[in-house]
Amino acid sequence: MVNPPPQPGVLARGLRLGKLGLSLTGSYLGYQAQNLFLGENEQRQRRFQEESSRRVRRELGSLKGVAMKLGQLLSVQTRALPEAAIRELAGLQMQAPGMHATLARARFKAALGKYPEEVFRTFEPEPFAAAPLGQVHRAVGRNGELLAVKIQYPAIRTALENDLRLLRSATLPARVTGHFPGSILDEVRRGFLEETDYLHEADNLEFFGRGLRDLAYVSVPQVRRDMTAECVLTMSFIPGVVLDAFLEGRPPAGLRNLIGERVLELFYFQLHRLRALQADQHPGNFLFQPDGRIGLVDFGCVKRIAFDVTTLIRGCAARSWRQGEAQAREVLGLIFGARTPYARARKMLAVLEVAAGILFPEGRGADPVVDFGKGELLEVLGQAMGKAVRDKVTNPEFAFVSRAELGLYSLLHRLDAKVNVRAVWERVAALEVTGPWRWPETTAHRKAKGRKPLVLPTS
Amino acid sequence: MTTSASRTAVAARPPGRGRRAENKEKNRRAILRAALDLFARKGFFHTTTKAISRKAGIAEGTLFNYFPTKEDLALYFFEEELAGIIGWYGAQPRLKEAGLPEQLFAIVHRFLERLGPYEDFIGAVYLRALQPRSKLSPLSLPSQERNLRYLRFIRGVLAEAAAAGEIPEVGDLGAYAFALFHLAVITYWLQDRSAGKEQTLALLDRCLKLATAMLKKGGWEW
Repeated sequence: MVNPPPQPGVLARGLRLGKLGLSLTGSYLGYQAQNLFLGENEQRQRRFQEESSRRVRRELGSLKGVAMKLGQLLSVQTRALPEAAIRELAGLQMQAPGMHATLARARFKAALGKYPEEVFRTFEPEPFAAAPLGQVHRAVGRNGELLAVKIQYPAIRTALENDLRLLRSATLPARVTGHFPGSILDEVRRGFLEETDYLHEADNLEFFGRGLRDLAYVSVPQVRRDMTAECVLTMSFIPGVVLDAFLEGRPPAGLRNLIGERVLELFYFQLHRLRALQADQHPGNFLFQPDGRIGLVDFGCVKRIAFDVTTLIRGCAARSWRQGEAQAREVLGLIFGARTPYARARKMLAVLEVAAGILFPEGRGADPVVDFGKGELLEVLGQAMGKAVRDKVTNPEFAFVSRAELGLYSLLHRLDAKVNVRAVWERVAALEVTGPWRWPETTAHRKAKGRKPLVLPTS
Repeated sequence: MTTSASRTAVAARPPGRGRRAENKEKNRRAILRAALDLFARKGFFHTTTKAISRKAGIAEGTLFNYFPTKEDLALYFFEEELAGIIGWYGAQPRLKEAGLPEQLFAIVHRFLERLGPYEDFIGAVYLRALQPRSKLSPLSLPSQERNLRYLRFIRGVLAEAAAAGEIPEVGDLGAYAFALFHLAVITYWLQDRSAGKEQTLALLDRCLKLATAMLKKGGWEW
């Protein structure tokens, strides 16, 4: 069956999103109700899930924009959706509907004033990877260097803005009841729209390239500024394969554990030392090599951490809330924000205990090594997120951190990695924080609608 | 510029053979190049015939012999562009292997790309074309002749796609429909103020994919 292409305009996209929402939620809720009262057999459940996931993929695949991103968000949460749906949604990550070579070339020329073949020694007209908002082509520079050229779909920013407007209307009831604060939507909007500006991503790449230099096993693409514009990003080519291909090679447990440890260290390193996080940690953004090296790509969505995340993780590792009211207030304040009433936030302590218990086992004889293959952490986090929404304690600061965290644990789960989380955290926590931050304003950034880049302090 | 009938006849006459005809064609192109350059820099309405003739290195009177009106200049410009695009398309082996949406996209995009520097000029031509007595009107004979060449070219592209089984036979109507669509895209492009005219690119891409998908699904029956 041929997928209809996306419809431009708020109304058409609204109708499509609405159709997806209504048809899926309607039927899913109906199924849940049926299940509660009548009970269901497994076969019917699987059939239902497959039908739903096909519908999800068809609708999301033709929408691109926000829905595509939401599709990715969902697919990252492997425990939050049925397996059949995950299989379908996984396709969305690396198989976005592509631009043909003529359109990709036209976008390149509109952005840089020349066709790719005038800039590069060679340029592959067929993309080798799909990015959520564009696609990536291989190229060879004039000096023979291997390059990856990310080209954005035309008018994707407008499409995203349309979807976000729609999302704002659709979430009105939840915003009125306080289950979905408007500030979360603002944060989501900020993150998504930032991703559409490749100049901003180039800033992020340079920042993380310098910031992660101490982790010798991590490669971050180097930006070629002379061939980069708002919708074209040219960077060095990072070798490696994505998770699925890596796992197909049946890597030994030792290598999987090593990579798991490194991915976790990379995560803590960003939080603690850089106070900035690559927030789109879905498997397509990690490239693995047989020697355990990791390539981290796609820095469109970056979260600058404004709160003391080190104290938070230390608090979780030591269960500081048990030491007294002040310590509990401190940790809960960091997680749920100063605006959330303490009494309400306190209800989350039980879930926090469980999560901390999995990540940082305590007590005599407890195995310090966490088996991510069990996936219990994802389950707990999924429950915690549901509870946070129900209890109205969601914190916009965590919108992208949670997304990244889920992505990380999902990756570790699929790697079936066993990692001593406490040891990794303590190793990272011993490092100095690189902050405080400077946010210099340059002409390019003033032009780029006032967005400010992340810059590592020189001292 | 004047609108005398005798001068119009000179401009409309097809290029003859021999050295004289060659020189005439050379002069025409030099005038067109000079005019387009000035249109791009100063705009259509602010460009004088004096400036064009000076830039082309000919006497103002000679200019009128070739192009009595700006409409004649525009007609010649479109003739040249169409011939250029048909020639360019024939020399693109990769496009022959591409899908129909990409082929049609490439044709329209190439056209828009060539028009890009002369947006002001094209806008003015559009306004003129709305006047029934204008030579640029779609109903005028010179416009009809050019349209026929264009329609034959598009019919050929569609017929190749049909022969390859990509779409069902769409006949002459398919070419007419695409010509109307092409006109609509140019109109949209003229008022598109987005960076790099990305809205036009998106519209063009989506419409062509949608139309091809519909044709594949049910021919004209959908």
